[in-house]
This record gives sequence, C-alpha cells and structure tokens, in this order.
Amino acid sequence: MHEFSLIEAVIDSIEERSREGSWGRITKVTLKIGEMRQVIPEILQFSFSVASKGSSMEGAELVIIELALEKRCRSCGNSWKGSASRCTSCGCDDTETVSGMELEIESVEVEE
Amino acid sequence: MPRRISIRQSVMAADEKIAGLLRRKLSEKKILMLNLIGSPGAGKTALLEATLKGARFRSAVIEGDIATSRDADRIARTGTRAVQINTRGGCHLESHLVQKAMEELDLDGLDVIFIENVGNLVCPAEFDLGEDMKVAVSSVPEGPDKPLKYPHLFSRAGAVLLTKVDLVRHIGFDRGLFWGDVEGLNPLARKLEVSSLDGSGIQEWIDLVEKWVGEKRK
Repeated sequence: MHEFSLIEAVIDSIEERSREGSWGRITKVTLKIGEMRQVIPEILQFSFSVASKGSSMEGAELVIIELALEKRCRSCGNSWKGSASRCTSCGCDDTETVSGMELEIESVEVEE
Repeated sequence: MPRRISIRQSVMAADEKIAGLLRRKLSEKKILMLNLIGSPGAGKTALLEATLKGARFRSAVIEGDIATSRDADRIARTGTRAVQINTRGGCHLESHLVQKAMEELDLDGLDVIFIENVGNLVCPAEFDLGEDMKVAVSSVPEGPDKPLKYPHLFSRAGAVLLTKVDLVRHIGFDRGLFWGDVEGLNPLARKLEVSSLDGSGIQEWIDLVEKWVGEKRK
C-alpha cells in the first residue's frame, strides 16, 4: 500500500535533480529494491505510470532490479541467503544484512 | 542516444533526512521515542492508557490514525498531552508528519514520546520516524501465526509485546509457536506479555521503558 508514497518520493527527487542539471526528457528510471522492503513491483509500475503524468519522466520505462535477502556473520564471516536470523554456520546472533533492504534510485537515462 | 546518469540515492532520502533531524533533536533533549506498530485492534491505545497511568516518566503521545481524534481523546483523559495526526487514507506515518506534530509539544518537559502508528502490520515498518525503537504490538485474538506472516515488522522491532494475554484461558493461544517464531526472526528483541485489562506485565513494561529512559539520559 505504500508503493504510491515511494513513487512520489522517487519522482520528486529526480525532478529536483532534473531542474538543477537542466536535463531533457527522462526515458528510463532504474530502481534497486530489496526483497525485505515489502514492495510489489506491479503496483510500483502502476503507481509510476499514474504519478509521472505531467512530469519530465512521463512515459519513461521503469526498471526494477530486485535484490534477494543476504546476511553475513560478523563473527565467522559466513554469508547466507534467506531470512535465518542466526548464523547458519556458527549459530551466533551477531549478524548483519548485506542486501535485501535496498530502496535506491540507481540511475536515469536522459535524452540529449 | 540517451545519456545514462548514475544517481545511487535512497528513494526516501527526503524523509530519512527529516528522520535524522528528529533523531538529533531528541538526542539533544534526551527524549526517548518509541514507535508502536500493530494491527487495528491490537490494543495499542489501551496499552498506552495503562502505561501512562502507572508511569513516573513524563510522556507525550503522537497518535496516527486515518480518521477521527478518538485515540488522542482517550490519551488526553489520562492527563497526558496527545497530538492527533490524521493521514486521511494514508496507511502509515512519515517523518514529516511526526515533525509537524512534535512542533506542538513542549520538548523541555518530556522523557518519552510514544508514537502510536496507524493500525497496520505492513507499511509502518518501512518508514523511519526518527524513533529510538520500533515496538511490535500483537494481540492474542490475532492468533500466534503473525510473526512469520509479517516478518518485516517483527524482525526490525526492538521489543515485541503480546497483548490481551488475559484472553488465553478463554480462546487458547500457542505461546510456544508465537515466541519461537519471534525468537527465530529476532533473537535480540525484548519480549513481554501484557494485559491492559487485568494489568499483568504492565509494570514490567513500564520498568523496561524507564530503563531505556535512563540509558537515553546518559
């Protein structure tokens, strides 16, 4: 349900950069989204098509790169995919998330 | 040929910036901020009422709801300052809304700000409000399967509260399943059982918040 808020934030920040850099029409927007961000790509696409109307990225292609959850153990260095919260090798809970939490505007393509 | 421009910026950069500002301000003022997240009807407001009646720390409450000021009115009846945010359909609170609500509070006389997020187990978990901690509130009648069905909230919460435990003897509840799944998702979260109706566990919860207030003051 929060996809529309996210897309509005994407459009606002790209529009700001576009004004600063006097970019031309934007033809492609690429986002990196981690699987732990509870974002449904289809809803994001739909929200983009609606919210981008009248902006410099109206009609642009939206590319969503989905990244799987990956964790790493700070103690033994082991890394694993999936949601296991303890290290799958040594069993300790001193772990960090390497990927899966991304919510990033990766790049845009602009007409010259 | 179109030109590719690398951006590499968080989607929520604007909101995260505000959350960072709020966190710095709260740190200066040594105020603890807790973000309570749970389903509609999980007992978040009742938990706050019970907490505020028994607590020695000075609190304010920011209430997030789609509509009405019913929750803020309930909190105000305990003698605590409450600010209502109506999201008008929005399924979660965002940091700029909390920033506006905080402007209505006298920060010099406070130890704790409780935020009661919009009732929803999904979206509120995604938005940083500048809080010290997210607190997941899940109630017995919702069933014991919620942690695994909504892992995002339960794995990010600093504390998990199981509410309405007075109902277990009437409707049953597989505590082993619930707490086993919470432990699997989030071994470091503080885990408590409370009943706002008969008061069980409430003092333990208040003591925990008091401990966090003490840590924040250091």
